[in-house]
Parts: sequence; C-alpha cells; structure tokens
Amino acid sequence: MRKAVTGLRAWLVQRVSAIYMLLFIVFLLTHFLLDPPTSYLDWRNWMLSPGVSIAASVFFAALFAHAWVGMRDVIMDYVHPIAIRVMVLALLGLGLTGIAAWVIQILWMGHG
Amino acid sequence: MKFSIFRFNPERDVKPYMQDFRVELEPTDRMLLDVILRIKIQDDSLTIRKSCREGVCGSDAININGRNGLACITPVRELKEPVQLRPLPSFPVIRDLVVDMTQFFKQYHSIKPYLINDEPAPEKERLQSPADRDKLDGLYECILCGCCTSQCPSSWWNPDKFVGPAGLLQAERFIVDSRDRATQQRLDDLNDVYRLFRCRSIMNCTEVCPKGLAPSRAIEKIRLMMVKDSI
Repeated sequence: MRKAVTGLRAWLVQRVSAIYMLLFIVFLLTHFLLDPPTSYLDWRNWMLSPGVSIAASVFFAALFAHAWVGMRDVIMDYVHPIAIRVMVLALLGLGLTGIAAWVIQILWMGHG
Repeated sequence: MKFSIFRFNPERDVKPYMQDFRVELEPTDRMLLDVILRIKIQDDSLTIRKSCREGVCGSDAININGRNGLACITPVRELKEPVQLRPLPSFPVIRDLVVDMTQFFKQYHSIKPYLINDEPAPEKERLQSPADRDKLDGLYECILCGCCTSQCPSSWWNPDKFVGPAGLLQAERFIVDSRDRATQQRLDDLNDVYRLFRCRSIMNCTEVCPKGLAPSRAIEKIRLMMVKDSI
C-alpha cells in the first residue's frame, strides 16, 4: 500500500522543474544572443507567439512548483509549531498564487 | 602544545566553559587521543569515551577545531593551536566530551538494521555471490561513531524525524543486500516527507566521515531506487 504523502513526489517535482527551467533559460539566452529583438514590438511578438508563450507558461509553472517545494522544505526545517507553520505555508501559498495570477495576466491576457 | 577543552559537569556547573591546557608532546604522541589521555593525567576529572584507540569502535568521536572526527586517528601534530575540543554538536552533553547517543541509536534501530528473510533457512548459511557481496562495500564499514549525523544540519533541525546520514547509510546497506527480502518495505518506510527526504544534499556527512564513507551517495542511491520503483 502506498502512503498518501510521499517525499519522493516533492523531490521529483523539484528535480524535474529545475531541469526544465535550466533548459528554458539556456533557450532564452541563446535566442537573445543569436537573434536579438530589434524593438519592443519585435520582442513582444516573439514572446506572444504560441510556442514561446506556452514554453514560458510551463517555465513559470515549473518555477512556482519549485519555489513551493523549496520554501516548504525550508519552513518545515525551521518552523516547528504547527499553527505557525500552517500560517506561514498559507501565506506562501497565497503569495505564490498571487504572482501566478499576475503571470497569467501578463502572458495570456495582455494581447490587446 | 595548547588545548582548549569543553568542560561541563552537570552536577557542579551551571554553564559549560572552555578550559585551557598545555601539554609537552612526547615523541610517542602521534594521535590526538594520546594527548587527551596525557591531559587526563593532569586533570583526572576530564571525561571522554574511548575504547579500541584505533578507529574501529567509534567511541571517541568529538569535534576537533570545529570538525567532527575520531581522536584516536587524528594526527595531533597537524592540528592548529590552540586545539579546540568540543563534544559532538547537537547531541545532548552528559559530561565534558561525552554525549548522549540515545536518539542517534533510536534512528539507527528504526531502519531495522538486520536481515529480514522469512524463507526457510538453508542447511548451512545464506550464500551470496562475490558480486552481490561487493555491493556492501562502502556501507558495511560504518562504525556508528555519529560524526556524520552530528554534523548534518538536517539532523540538527529534525533529529527526531530525520533518520540522519548514519542511519540512511545503514538502510542502504540492508536495501542492497541480496539476502534481504524486505527491500520494498524498507523503501516504503523511508518514503515520507521526513525520514529520508529532509536530506538537502549538504554533504557534510561525506566530508567528515572518519572512515571515508559517503552517506550522501547512499542517500542518492535510495532516492534513485525509489524513482525506479515508482515507475
């Protein structure tokens, strides 16, 4: 029987998200090095092209998952009283959700 | 040679303090333990654990100039003066350099450090191929001195929930043993948020192990076995 809470899943999420973020950053830097955008519009159109905006969305999803697991680990290490821990985790979740909403707004609703 | 040694006698002292000692080295003094025993002649109230005095029993693990090690296999002439000697960090002090290792051994016992095999025993013994035996190299040599666990920040923060590098190295020793039949239970037991996964790969354990073992590599192997197992 498998346990509901496993440490393996969180650990895998962190490793896989790290690899994706690394690849995406290399891709981004390579693009800017080889084919730098000449104007803001140029850059904006590139960012909003379906392939790039999907890759960027996955990047931010990976970033938030990575940040959640990492911060949760730090909080579990240092914040031991359960009530305070739950509160800090809730604040972290709220903060990350807020930033995620902002990212969605910029990437997917800023087309107008 | 100058020494500064952590002293604490709970029956007498309110607070621990560092006491300075000065010792003339004899030509025969090679290891730190030789000199500590010479200091004990000066002040017989100084308390230390020791037994085999050759790096096999693991009882004289102490913190030497900030780094955990075995006094009996640490060449004394290479140490920077004054040599600061303290008990193993994060373990409760019983007296002077002697610490309480109850929690350490509780974590060790929690990984079931013995072969589990319910199959009928063969006439003589459970045999192992030389290749399978080789898998235990780098694991069976652990003497449970506690140097690694005492120097591990993850163990400092959660000593009651995180098994610690020594216990996990032992866990790997039984997980890879071809004669053991409880591999799955062992992996499941470690797969929660605390027991194995508090390890942040800080690698102090591997850095300080006086036997040159690599608990961090054992932990990594357990993680990879869990990944394979979950696919």
